[in-house]
Amino acid sequence: MTTSVAAVWGHRSVLRVLVQRDLAIKYQQSVLGYLWSLIEPLTMGAIYWFVFGVLYKTGSRFEGASYPLFILSGIFAWQWFSSALSESTGALTAQARLITTIKVPREIFPIGRVTGRFAEYLAGLPVLIAAAIIFNGHVTWRTAVGIPLAVLLQFTLLIGVSLLLSSLNVMLPDVERFIRLAQRMLLYCAPVIYPFERVLSATGVPDWVKILYQANPLVGIMQLQHSAWFPEEWPSTGLLLSCTAGCVLVLVAGWWAFHRLEPSVLKEL
Amino acid sequence: MSEPIISARDLGVRFVKGRRRNLRVREMVFHGRKRAMKNGASDEFWPLRNLSFDVVPGEAIGVIGKNGTGKSTLLRLIAGVLIPDEGSIRVRGKVAPLLELSAGFSNDLTGRENLNLVATLHGLSKAELAAKFDEIVDFAGDQVAKSLDSPVRHYSSGMRVRLGFSIISQLHHPILLVDEVMAVGDAEFRAKCYNTMQRLLVEGRTLVLVSHNEGDLTKFCTRGLFINEGRLTRDGTVQEALDAYKGLVPVA
Repeated sequence: MTTSVAAVWGHRSVLRVLVQRDLAIKYQQSVLGYLWSLIEPLTMGAIYWFVFGVLYKTGSRFEGASYPLFILSGIFAWQWFSSALSESTGALTAQARLITTIKVPREIFPIGRVTGRFAEYLAGLPVLIAAAIIFNGHVTWRTAVGIPLAVLLQFTLLIGVSLLLSSLNVMLPDVERFIRLAQRMLLYCAPVIYPFERVLSATGVPDWVKILYQANPLVGIMQLQHSAWFPEEWPSTGLLLSCTAGCVLVLVAGWWAFHRLEPSVLKEL
Repeated sequence: MSEPIISARDLGVRFVKGRRRNLRVREMVFHGRKRAMKNGASDEFWPLRNLSFDVVPGEAIGVIGKNGTGKSTLLRLIAGVLIPDEGSIRVRGKVAPLLELSAGFSNDLTGRENLNLVATLHGLSKAELAAKFDEIVDFAGDQVAKSLDSPVRHYSSGMRVRLGFSIISQLHHPILLVDEVMAVGDAEFRAKCYNTMQRLLVEGRTLVLVSHNEGDLTKFCTRGLFINEGRLTRDGTVQEALDAYKGLVPVA
């Protein structure tokens, strides 16, 4: 694994041009350009705010800062996760001609897709900060630690997932369909738009479901994101540790699966 | 004799017939190779097997064989875009693949952007690219130079091939893989290709050429590999390999 990490690192200029190409293609053709990377999460956020904030009054729980900010602090990270998931799944199949003629470490293709979506997440950060000012987000040391840590963990998790999915998708095209379903499910399987505490305090949910729920690394990542503006959301040490372990485990498993499947993937492309 | 730049030992690649890929994934992950062996050889075939040869730097090799006998598979193995199931292949030095010339081009990007992209993918550094840029554009011809800032979507297929060829031929990788590129393009472009190939060979690059064209093979190559049904049947001079090939396929 170390040799292939070194190989990827040695080809980082290739990674950069691939990401630049993806972004250029995506934004050159649309009139609104990069604004799309803001419009999508903002629209989704508005819908969730309407349903859960206005209709179901989730917002009443928040003192000081408000529910719209809570949604936004989750939705931008979620957007990164969700779009990276769907785009990295097809990373190898869509670039088959490139992969079968030019020798570069194949890991670069899924990692490139993850990085491209990360650039969009960065583009959304100013909006998130503006929202934090408007909605009175609490700026503490957790703001400076929470977001970078969350980003680091999410990168780890996404690279693992993208390596696994992109290689698996070559052998089993069903993966692409499955991912569309998983995306919708996962949004509700992590505290993106609702507070984590609601799950823990829910009486109708058996304990083993709660434990299973917390095993999802996204839970810790989202809590870190929220805690940047809502200090009381800071995850417990136990949750942080299990989240980190989960992300690293997914990365190692993804890398291993990718290498195991690589010879067959190259034949199949 | 200098150390070989390409050396293959008992090289073999296995493909699985039919569409039982789901099963393959499970085998790959959980059972490794053993289970696949047990299932018997009925649903697998070897486009290449038991190939051993050495290529020394500066040699020009012609690969000859009928369609579907694994010539392109061999090139992909040398290029490193296919991993062998048996044996090993060692390639010392980078490979410039003149295989699919327009691979890597994005239709929506301009010729200039594609040039930068593909050259970087092939391992050209920024400084090298800046130094070679004009030369590459020049070589691609007037037509390409004029439309360098319009999307490749609007290029004719000939223009794409030209741009691709001029990028790859400017790489200073020691090994050159060529797969029937001379068959495309007009007479003028072909003449240019021939000249470039001659020049690269004089510079001491190693060439592996796949072709059915006897003229090309005798012109460039000093050694011929005749591959029949996935096996290396003849390894000698180009003429010997061609004779072996003709012995199998009688020319009417």
